[in-house]
Amino acid sequence: MVTQQSQSQGAAAGNSKMSLTTTAVGSYAKPDYLSKARTAFSSGKIDRAELDKLERQATEFWIRAQEKVGLDVLVHGEMERGDMVAYFSGEPGGNPIKGMKLGGLVRSYGNRYYHKPIIFDKLEWPGPMTVEMWKYAQSLTDRPVKGMLTGAYTMVEWSFDEHYPSRRDAVLDMAKVIRREVEELVAAGCRYIQVDEPAIHTRPDTDFDMAVESMHVTVDGIDAEFHTHICYGEVEKIYPAMLRLPVKQIHLAFKNTDFAYLKLIDEFGYDDEKDLGVGVTDVHTRFLESVEEVKDGIKETLKRLPGDRLWIYPDCGLKTRTTQESEDKLRVMVEAVRGVKEELGIA
Amino acid sequence: MQTTVVGNYPKIPNRPRPARLRNAINKRDRGEITSEDLVLVYDEVTTGVIQEQIDAGVDIVTDGQVRWDDDQTYVTRGLKGVEIGSLERYLDTNTYYRQPEITGAVGWEKPILVRDFQFARENSSKPVKAIITGPYTIAALSLDKHYGSRQKLVLALAEALRNELLALAEAGAEHIQVNDPAIVIHKADSALAAKALTTMLEGVGSETGVYTWFGSAAGVLPALLDTPADVIGLDFICAPDNWDCVRTAGFGKKLGFGIVDGRNTRLESPDQVAEDIKRMSDIVPPERLYINPSCGLEYLPRETACDKLKIMVEGARRAEGVPA
Repeated sequence: MVTQQSQSQGAAAGNSKMSLTTTAVGSYAKPDYLSKARTAFSSGKIDRAELDKLERQATEFWIRAQEKVGLDVLVHGEMERGDMVAYFSGEPGGNPIKGMKLGGLVRSYGNRYYHKPIIFDKLEWPGPMTVEMWKYAQSLTDRPVKGMLTGAYTMVEWSFDEHYPSRRDAVLDMAKVIRREVEELVAAGCRYIQVDEPAIHTRPDTDFDMAVESMHVTVDGIDAEFHTHICYGEVEKIYPAMLRLPVKQIHLAFKNTDFAYLKLIDEFGYDDEKDLGVGVTDVHTRFLESVEEVKDGIKETLKRLPGDRLWIYPDCGLKTRTTQESEDKLRVMVEAVRGVKEELGIA
Repeated sequence: MQTTVVGNYPKIPNRPRPARLRNAINKRDRGEITSEDLVLVYDEVTTGVIQEQIDAGVDIVTDGQVRWDDDQTYVTRGLKGVEIGSLERYLDTNTYYRQPEITGAVGWEKPILVRDFQFARENSSKPVKAIITGPYTIAALSLDKHYGSRQKLVLALAEALRNELLALAEAGAEHIQVNDPAIVIHKADSALAAKALTTMLEGVGSETGVYTWFGSAAGVLPALLDTPADVIGLDFICAPDNWDCVRTAGFGKKLGFGIVDGRNTRLESPDQVAEDIKRMSDIVPPERLYINPSCGLEYLPRETACDKLKIMVEGARRAEGVPA
């Protein structure tokens, strides 16, 4: 372990690539005026132009907030999205994938319900779904803004499929749709594209190959850097299989499990070609981690991988936290990264 | 041949019908109504769900498990030795349950489900089937901080839950269904699961059933057929090879024939259902068939769930040769 650590630091110090790049997973809380406007838009009380104006206002708020905190790579905050699957499937204000619509309410747990999407026909790209908002967010800042998409497996897994004979058929057609959107984002100048697959560990035994295949269909041959975010769940069941995903970076929620995933890396290794996204603050608790605690997590990870291959994130999207809580968690994260860099003398 | 349901039913309808229960729970959480007020809403919604099943033509209904957040916590909240922990994904669905944490010796103190059963029966013109979660599934989906042994926990749960079954039987429940889907997922434990079910069901006077879903009973069915359960419920949508399992098993019990997809909004046709029933009637005689969805219907929007029941009932009638 000591040897590994010194190698890591050596590798980081000797590389011109930036160390411990800070970023976020995707979503932030919507300000009240935007939540109200979304309801008003759904019931026809305001028009698209008015909603658009408020979405952009809220997006600018989050771009500035991230700049102020000092993140290196920004997210646009998903002010225009309610849910990461429903946004592409008929949510008011979105441009839904052809062949998808929102269904009735189903319960996910407790008293929480959502409109579960339905695949009712062949899936086809409906024209750009995310490009305008990405262009707007990028126009506000000199720092890179990530493109944000939901992966084909998760899109299908979290929908009813009334059309396709098999899940595989649906997933592969969905991957073609997402790929088309990726191409548009790249054409618009997007360099980093995050394709989230939080459902990927739902059926590891039967479906994991399909999920890998669909990621190939989504990204192969496209000149951009691809990341994926895999959420809470039985990550140990898809490790090291997840290293087969054809992306440059995999992000995992390390903090929520007190960095237990490091044991997977110790046991099975990581992929020399990949960077690792490290979730260092728990988004499901209001409790604010201390800078020292976050530094400890980063330092533990640095014992396994060099700093220039680590990106530092919160565990997940921050939309369930208040604005203040989100800013605090990002600030602690950035301070911890600065502290680690100073302590270890890495750039 | 009779039609029935597997247990849970969507709690709220879609617009323009009001989401009464969802709104009432929110109001209770905000302190605008009391918990007693909320019980009345649960009662009304339960009555509505029962009537909806009856109107769809279902022969044996349930209370829709309207009061249940999930299969794991509603029963275990009433047991000694159990606390309720964090949210976990339920099997391979995109729904979540709070994980029971076993913190002490599990024990039964007083009836948990009897009041619900009595209320449902009083408000139903059709027979009501009582639902309870099985010992193996509770154990498999819990966090054991006490026993340190799956076997000890499963058997302790079986002893505790047996008391609830006896209480339900004494309250007049003629049909009791044990939800035990984890049995077909953890196949290596089938002998243990069967032993627990035997402990739980032996000598209970009601007709008892063990229902599984989301998996094939291959390798498990012989053990289930050795239990005292009168009915075995299997999911033929997620696991088409259950056809072979039943065909080769020497199936001497009643079969809960889960043939309408409880997880997809795509509607079956009555003719398709009728054809499946006729095909199954060659393996298990019709008088030993319960026709039901593949699982609880709560994965579907309410209106779709209701449509599916109507299609299922119509399919059963056509299979029996009843003119439309």
